[in-house]
Amino acid sequence: MPAEPLPQFLSSIKLKYVKLGYQYLANHMLTFLLIPVMVAAFLEAAKIGPDELVSLWRSLGINAIHALCTVLLVVVVATAYFMSRPRPVYLVDYACFQPARNCRVPFATFFEHARLMPFFDEKSVRFQVRILERSGLGEETCLPPANHYIPPCPSMEASRAEAQLVIFSAIDDLIAKTGLKPKDIDILVVNCSLFSPTPSLSAMIVNKYKLRSNIMSFNLSGMGCSAGLISVDLARDLLQAHPNSYALVVSTEIITPNYYAGNERSMLLPNCLFRMGAAAVLLSNRRRERARAKYRLLHVVRTHKGADDRAYLCVYEEEDGDGNSGIRLSKDLMAIADEALRSNITTVGPLVLPVTEQLRFLASLVARRLLGSRGWKPYIPDFKRAFEHFCIHAGGRAVIDELQLNLRLSAAHVEASRMALHRFGNTSSSSLWYELGYIEAKGRMRRGDRVWMIGFGSGFKCNSAVWRCLRTVATPVDGPWSDCIHRYPVHIPEVVKLL
Amino acid sequence: MHTVLSVDAMELLWTIATVLFLYSSLSFLWKAFDCRRNQNCYLVDYVCYKPSDDRKLSTELYSDVIKRNKRLSMPDYKFHLKVVVNFGISEETYGPRSIIEGREESPTLDDCDDEVDDCMYSTLDELFRRTGISSGDVDVLVVNISMFTPDPSLTSRIVNRDKMREDVKTFNLSGMGCSASPIANDLVNNVFKTRKRTLAVVITSESIAPNWYCGTDKSMMLGNSLFRSGGCSFMLTNDPSLKHLAKMSLKCLVRAHSGANDDAYSCAMQKEDTDGRVGFHLSKSLPKVAVRAFTENLQTLAPNVLPVGELALYVIRGLRHRLRRSKETKADAGTAVRVNFKSGVEHFCLHTGGAAVIDAVGSALGLNKYDVEPARMTLHRWGNTSASSLWYVLSYMEAKKRLRRKDRVLMLSFGAGFKCNSYLWEVLRDLEDGGAWEDCIEAYPPNP
Repeated sequence: MPAEPLPQFLSSIKLKYVKLGYQYLANHMLTFLLIPVMVAAFLEAAKIGPDELVSLWRSLGINAIHALCTVLLVVVVATAYFMSRPRPVYLVDYACFQPARNCRVPFATFFEHARLMPFFDEKSVRFQVRILERSGLGEETCLPPANHYIPPCPSMEASRAEAQLVIFSAIDDLIAKTGLKPKDIDILVVNCSLFSPTPSLSAMIVNKYKLRSNIMSFNLSGMGCSAGLISVDLARDLLQAHPNSYALVVSTEIITPNYYAGNERSMLLPNCLFRMGAAAVLLSNRRRERARAKYRLLHVVRTHKGADDRAYLCVYEEEDGDGNSGIRLSKDLMAIADEALRSNITTVGPLVLPVTEQLRFLASLVARRLLGSRGWKPYIPDFKRAFEHFCIHAGGRAVIDELQLNLRLSAAHVEASRMALHRFGNTSSSSLWYELGYIEAKGRMRRGDRVWMIGFGSGFKCNSAVWRCLRTVATPVDGPWSDCIHRYPVHIPEVVKLL
Repeated sequence: MHTVLSVDAMELLWTIATVLFLYSSLSFLWKAFDCRRNQNCYLVDYVCYKPSDDRKLSTELYSDVIKRNKRLSMPDYKFHLKVVVNFGISEETYGPRSIIEGREESPTLDDCDDEVDDCMYSTLDELFRRTGISSGDVDVLVVNISMFTPDPSLTSRIVNRDKMREDVKTFNLSGMGCSASPIANDLVNNVFKTRKRTLAVVITSESIAPNWYCGTDKSMMLGNSLFRSGGCSFMLTNDPSLKHLAKMSLKCLVRAHSGANDDAYSCAMQKEDTDGRVGFHLSKSLPKVAVRAFTENLQTLAPNVLPVGELALYVIRGLRHRLRRSKETKADAGTAVRVNFKSGVEHFCLHTGGAAVIDAVGSALGLNKYDVEPARMTLHRWGNTSASSLWYVLSYMEAKKRLRRKDRVLMLSFGAGFKCNSYLWEVLRDLEDGGAWEDCIEAYPPNP
């Protein structure tokens, strides 16, 4: 970990810690004041015997009316207090799209198709295959039917067909799992970056499932691979404002219209990495859902680095010299992801790290200030003490490697991300849900466990969500992993030799 | 001695406990009151987009563009022109540069970016200048442009250009049609309910350059004739300290989505024609669908907007009508009971979907020529600018100095899906800005 970027990172959070400390003090002042008072009262009461206490009580001259009024006041204030607290947001259940086997794109198929495409030159074919060799993807990732044609036919009709296939399958599975009645859905948030027809995909869902006319629907687009967490954030805000509601969040990426048919290297990467996928998530703030909900949403933190030009341009849709449009990924991507993550964890850290870790971090800050940067090594908070499970966006092998290094995670912590990348490829905003499914399918999710979901996306954004598991998830688990979990984890070699 | 000391100590403890209890109740009540204060949604200001004059799309220029499409026959060409003439638009409406310069069949990504950038940046700069608020103070940014979604999103583009903060909440809405403005407002309103002293900027516009239809399907040709360039940026806040700057306050917002009905879902749809060209299909059942969605919206809106007296009158009239109908023959049972919306609303911003749409909605609400004039004039001057049309209508009213303190303004729009959304504002102070109408308001309404 390079030392130079750290001082800037540290100085920016210094003020944050001071502010947070003051906020903590202010919010809990009552507790800080009440504790000594209660301790004193208890000590006093302990000194006096029970008879004396009773006579003291009588001497105060409280009659029934006083007592009743006090009790009433306490009840009123307590009720109002509990009702004003932010409503908890529960994740009742979720379902991921399981692609059919005939959509598989094994390496040999990918290679053969690339060779037969009329628009790729020899160099582009070899480049794509080399990327695939090192990508960490497996042989079972899937592309939509339209992309199996040579050349692919990216029509609007085919794109809509893919959208209907992936979204409706995921929602049907969710309905089967939860017994949800479509008419009960109050909030619908759909995110799909690169395909946005009119009427929107949210209108398509309203039409298919005959949702209510007063539904609050929103269709987010263009927001990249971290849009799944943006949708969850929006659903959470809506649930805070509307009690007793259900929110359906659908995250997907439609591959059909986005095949890059040119030879610009920086734009060929998405062809190799992006695969078909979708997830449907049911959130609710109904108290009765607490009993069967799987997770509770604790925090969502969003960080947008768009103000920095380098960050803004690192994932960019543009046209190449021949007019083919595609998404260009810059070489700075890893460095920018790193910076975005640091900014995000400066906000997440104080919310989730145990007090000891925060104190150690603060102490190291102070020590470095006093003794100078050379005298004291920077202390990186140990996030493994705050979370049991990590779901890191399966953007590519390099992203997972980088985060494993930065957060000092073990191979076991990033196993879900690596295996999801291997089995399903980069499914963009829904990848986090496939990873969560892996952890559950492996029987590792226990009650009380905390999960950290980290998503990265164009803009450049880094968004994270913190969940707490409310009930141990029993195996076997229905879902896209049910037929293959017994084969995982697999060893993923550095390079799978194809050429 | 021990007992006396204990009694004193107990009294002291009792006093302290009472004080703390009072403090906690008071602070909690203050929090509840504070929360209530932040429930309001104020419109601080808005700026409508005025493209440069070289982008004016006169009927002559428009017919040149149509003639360039060699696939069209003479009847098709005549149909195009008939629609434009009957639609009620003037020679002053604006189109994208790529279409005027002859690139309508193959616009580049740069053309699309330029069209949208020009609108967003010019209106945003003007908005920040007029309000004196800097881009670094923006907490929430919403952009809605239905038919163009580049990656990174348009919200990211603005965050980059205006150097907004890292914790800014951005939302890029897309595909939500001509009634997306109330939807963006609804989103912001909901975020306001969870955060105090928040400032939001919403940009609403439409992208025409990449959506020009080059085929021969009549149902898709209408889109070319109707849509014109326009946009609006507006600033919302729930901070009570900015109330003195604000123009209007949001009172009520109603959304009605009739997408569950198949006809409604498919009546306005972007799809490919038989030759594989993408266009915006408008079906013949659109008016019927619009009426249904409109009725549904009004059923929820009316109780929130109308005074109790008018609602009571409506119920009485309804009962009388029903009694009369049961006695009379079928032939007499055609008239429906009308509600007088003007009892609860002073000004009406109607979506400029077309002259026929404005007239139909106007007559359903019981409006006269004066009431529909802003919508009619907006259609004439700007064409159908999709989601931002409501703001041009509002700007007309303001330029004509019609908006006085305590007046209520109803904004009503329709959109693909099929949705009918409406919202009610209350004017906070006498408004007088000319806005985008500044240089031409004197010429309106034009002499017949």
